[in-house]
Amino acid sequence: MPYHTFKCSKCIPERTRHAVIKGHGEDITSCLPLGYLNTIPGSISERGCAFCGAKHVIGTPMKDVIHLCHGPVGCTYDTWQTKRYISDNDNFQFKYTFATDMKEKHIVFGSEKLLKESIIEAFKAFPEIKRMAIYQTCASALIGDDMDAVAQEVMNEMPDVDIFVCNSPGFAGPSQSGGHHKINIAWVNQKVGTVEPKITSDYVINYVGEYNIQGDQEVMADYFKRMGIQVLSTFTGNGSYDDLRSMHKADLNVLECARSAEYICNELRVRYGTPRMDIDGFGFKPLSESLLKVGLFFGLEDKAQKIIEEETARWKPELDWYARRLKGVKVCLWPGGSKLWHWANVIHEEMGVEVVSLYTKFGHQGDMEKGIARCGEGALAIDDPNELEGIEAMMELQPDVIFTGVRPGEVAKKLRVQYLNAHAYHNGPYKGYEGWVRFARDIYNAVYSPIHQLSGLDISKDEIDMNTGFVTKNIISDAKIDKEASITNNEREYTGKYDCVTHLRDKTY
Amino acid sequence: MRIEKKERSGIINPIFTCQPAGAQYVSIGVEDCIGIVHGGQGCVMFVRLLFAQHFKENFLLASSSLHEDTAVLGATHRIEEAVDVLLMRYPEVKVVPIISTCSTEIIGDDVEGVIRKLENGLLKEKYADREVHLISISTPSFKGSMVSGYDIAVRDFVREFATKKEPNEKINLITGWVNPGDVTALKHLLMEMNVDANVLFETESFDSPLMPKGDAVSYGGTTIKDLESTGDAIGTIVLNRYEGKLAADFLETEFEIPSIIGPTPIGIRNTDAFLNNLKKMTGKPIPEPLVRERGVAIDALTDLVHMFFADKKVAIFGNPDLVIGLAEFCIDLEMKPVLLLLGDDNVNYSKDPRIKEFEEKVEFEMEIIENADLWDLEERIKNGDVELDLIIGHSKGRFIAIDNDIPMLRVGFPVYDRAGYYRHPIVGYAGATWLADEMANVLFTDMEYKKNKEWILNVW
Repeated sequence: MPYHTFKCSKCIPERTRHAVIKGHGEDITSCLPLGYLNTIPGSISERGCAFCGAKHVIGTPMKDVIHLCHGPVGCTYDTWQTKRYISDNDNFQFKYTFATDMKEKHIVFGSEKLLKESIIEAFKAFPEIKRMAIYQTCASALIGDDMDAVAQEVMNEMPDVDIFVCNSPGFAGPSQSGGHHKINIAWVNQKVGTVEPKITSDYVINYVGEYNIQGDQEVMADYFKRMGIQVLSTFTGNGSYDDLRSMHKADLNVLECARSAEYICNELRVRYGTPRMDIDGFGFKPLSESLLKVGLFFGLEDKAQKIIEEETARWKPELDWYARRLKGVKVCLWPGGSKLWHWANVIHEEMGVEVVSLYTKFGHQGDMEKGIARCGEGALAIDDPNELEGIEAMMELQPDVIFTGVRPGEVAKKLRVQYLNAHAYHNGPYKGYEGWVRFARDIYNAVYSPIHQLSGLDISKDEIDMNTGFVTKNIISDAKIDKEASITNNEREYTGKYDCVTHLRDKTY
Repeated sequence: MRIEKKERSGIINPIFTCQPAGAQYVSIGVEDCIGIVHGGQGCVMFVRLLFAQHFKENFLLASSSLHEDTAVLGATHRIEEAVDVLLMRYPEVKVVPIISTCSTEIIGDDVEGVIRKLENGLLKEKYADREVHLISISTPSFKGSMVSGYDIAVRDFVREFATKKEPNEKINLITGWVNPGDVTALKHLLMEMNVDANVLFETESFDSPLMPKGDAVSYGGTTIKDLESTGDAIGTIVLNRYEGKLAADFLETEFEIPSIIGPTPIGIRNTDAFLNNLKKMTGKPIPEPLVRERGVAIDALTDLVHMFFADKKVAIFGNPDLVIGLAEFCIDLEMKPVLLLLGDDNVNYSKDPRIKEFEEKVEFEMEIIENADLWDLEERIKNGDVELDLIIGHSKGRFIAIDNDIPMLRVGFPVYDRAGYYRHPIVGYAGATWLADEMANVLFTDMEYKKNKEWILNVW
């Protein structure tokens, strides 16, 4: 077995089967790391908790909802304003956060009264919002407050409001993934089937596992609408609470992030017979295939084809401009969940970068199967990496850029490795044809940053170049490419605007 | 002046996070120290993210990774494992605070008991040749806030290490929850006064470089030796009453080291008082260069006060000492701090002598809200109960400013929507100048953006 042992982790034998190198001719039958096991205490893992997996990842992107945490204030504060899930209702869901602020007396005497008061106050403060999600935390779970009973009591007293209860305390599972599962199941159990929607098309989908990071959902919904499809609900980015209560009426569940939201698709298939179709909005080819697949399902392949042709003609020359300049760039693909496999192959195919490592902090073995199957030979795959392993991997692999979160990005910075935010994006959205070009543009900007070139110079020892003067990114990147071919091929740099999403909100179909 | 409390039971948009975050902030200020937070993984992961957002740097903190089984059956064995794993993999680590959270306090884990067990077992058997200090820091999230968590942790670190050996000429300077830029400014004042100090905590190195070899890391610079010698100091100065007084009280009771509490040296007057306290404690005079430095600051303020600051109404939210210090400075700048928001249920705020002083001397309408949240601020703005020219506070309140078209100066923790603020001081004469300059610039930008007498700057 091609397990990789990190020097820094030799002393913790439990780690030996969590990293593999995909060797020549090997596939997932011979190299698959363990996954989704309990975290080793003190290892400085990057994992979060099941509360944040439920509330922060899946719950809060719902836009027309008061999100209230039942617990001490930290759970609320710490998960507030740390993501970029925007919405078309002026971002209510991340501007306002709500907590019961549980104190010692509540721990001792119970806090159901406090919860009820907080619910009523929140509705009073925002009379136009009639929907709420309440989230359990470690503290409220351990003292055993009956949150369902409190929610029901309020709903009985205030007939115009509706409350969703999510029981997913921080300790419920090895990572945030436990929370994804819990909130999926809670939603389908409590809410699906309680609203009958207005159906406006013969082709109706739920768009599932999509969180509208920097506008991803709005870009993708635009394609669906152009095909004449009604997006009944989105689970959950830019999604509306009542739309999500009517998920049972869709003809098809189109699933983007299978890591965080396949559970609800599977339940909807069992309970309502709605088929699940896994798609991928990242990359020209996967996206085109996805649109075609959805088109084929409804007999709308002509419309899908038209979009694919229009969008490809518009954006392909720009993708190619970057791809030519990104060829051979070494990348550590260290995102959270589904991007592991969504990006593993397509960034190589369409941008020419080499994935030298991939990791998942909360993924399961199934995610690694998909990721390793798609990545190239020699890639180092790590499950639940910890701080020292990440550093060791970067020192050994010397990547040009890593795709990861804000804090691990700071670790990379010190090692002189450029970082792109894989969770919240640098300048997204990254889904859609234009989005994919924006991603390529961001990688290009990181790799060829003139400041990055300067950061390796030791002025006390190295020769200081007094002749060259300033260099542009293009001078650096174009030194190694066939510039003529780029011009003949009509390749060009990105021509879109800083904000490529807001204009979609005024569009009529 | 009115002192009020938030009228609601719950919180809408909190001003502070919970106690363990404060203890974690202290922990990263100490050299060769990695804290273990005993609780769910989010209690660490998000606090590290918060630090990364504020400082644009990475800091090391570990988790005992509480999972379902341990939440039910007790998790002290997770501490044992965490300590061992941490010590094995970080050979330089000497100090390991074990920071409790709500969950592990509720299940009643005996952290001190585990520490005794580890000291008599693991540390003797496996780490006999190594200096290791395990410190129990009890910070249940359902008590106080990050402010009290900070206070508790400073005391617990001092209590662990302070010893009486040879009396020295040093003072203990407990800075409170400040930025690297503040520590630089404070150390500059100490140097000018020729005063040697144990600075708790040395956080200047948080602003670490990106080096050609790629080998730099961010860590605090307070050493075990610094902490030990707090017991030999001639006195303790605590700049922020709620962020260090517990430690000073401990040193006073245990080692009879006299302490001076406050003032938070924000503004000219409070910096004068700080220097006077240094003089009182050490007998050293205030030297001429500081007269000049003070003059430079006063010169800068004089350019601004009557023309731009006079009678401007200000709301301030954040850590209590910060808010009070800023309010006092605003009054010297001819402004009217009409609304102060203190974000936890500490009952001592209303007895604070500085708040009493506001009560006695302020002649304009001034409202202080205790246990406040940001909705207390936003609601008053939306209802027209308060008209504001300026908001001063941290980034979590950014949308109040944005949505209500009120200029806002980012001060405090966390600030993640402005670049580089952690490296600028707000204390000392340099801090007074920077604060006034920035307040003015924020107001100027707003005038231009709104076309509100923007032409006035033509001849300034």
